[in-house]
Amino acid sequence: MYRRVISSVVSKTRTAISLQACSRPVVASRSYSSKKEETDEQFDARWEAYFNRPEIDDWELRRGLNELHGHDLVPEPKIVAAALKACRRLNDSAMAVRVLEAVKDKAGSHKNIYPYMVQELRPTLDELSINTPEELGLDKPLEDKIM
Amino acid sequence: MIDHASRTPFPYEHRDFTGNCEGSVMAVNMLRVTSRRFVASACQRSSSTLAYADRLDYPAPPCRFVDDVDLSADMQSLKAKEQGDWKSLSVDEKRALYRLSFDKSYSEMRAPTGEWKYIIGGVFGLLSVAIFFYGLQKKFIAPPLPITMTKEWQQDQMKYNIAIRNNPVTGLASKWDYEKNDWKK
Repeated sequence: MYRRVISSVVSKTRTAISLQACSRPVVASRSYSSKKEETDEQFDARWEAYFNRPEIDDWELRRGLNELHGHDLVPEPKIVAAALKACRRLNDSAMAVRVLEAVKDKAGSHKNIYPYMVQELRPTLDELSINTPEELGLDKPLEDKIM
Repeated sequence: MIDHASRTPFPYEHRDFTGNCEGSVMAVNMLRVTSRRFVASACQRSSSTLAYADRLDYPAPPCRFVDDVDLSADMQSLKAKEQGDWKSLSVDEKRALYRLSFDKSYSEMRAPTGEWKYIIGGVFGLLSVAIFFYGLQKKFIAPPLPITMTKEWQQDQMKYNIAIRNNPVTGLASKWDYEKNDWKK
């Protein structure tokens, strides 16, 4: 029904009609040439909204973190903050520490990214009383845990 | 190995994972709210699809390392404490909670294992066994080498080849000076 309305008016006012039939923006994350490319801001907003969902559950959190970790980028501090808040809502302090570890690992050889991230996240970390892996001593490997 | 594909697909699976809709399927959003899925607790038991795994590329395994059912009493009380304000948790308690959920931390996953020493040692060990058996064969089993392999025969062979002018352009005979009866300088 929406399509019919659109096609009849499209010749006159293309821009006026909003194609947003669902609550989230209609944007494809894959870059097919026929579909719209997603900008960095849209990507960030999408992921922040994903973790900020109040009724997010354990499975979704883990799945989301794994998927985010799969992208070729270090997530913005605001996305990581949203993920940490989601961990707090799910009472999972271990996962919060894991998120920070994963972000540090994702930065790879760019050693300046993680300190910046911690600096940006300091208010969130203090508010939720999350310790960084360094504060917990998890950045040094335990001898009996190495293979 | 975490198998995401083994999960039963939901009817709205054409959606991008973060809930991004393509087209006008707003009503589908409602379906999601009903079932809240929690981390699978039977991780250690069902080893096939939902096994715990420490992987650098998957920070969140499908389940915790230590199951909720296997927790000792003080760990269970710690879990209950986790529900409250995390300010009340000490550093040791937070570390304990981390170890309940995860086997290895990222630093432990990345730590050098020294496995290469075992590999090199194993390879050399197998190689030496092989060489030992070769030595035994050579000494006790193999027949003597043919007469053509002795130094005298090979020297005579070379004299013969020079005499018949073998390879006179660029090879053996070309290197021999026939006037002086010696190698060319």
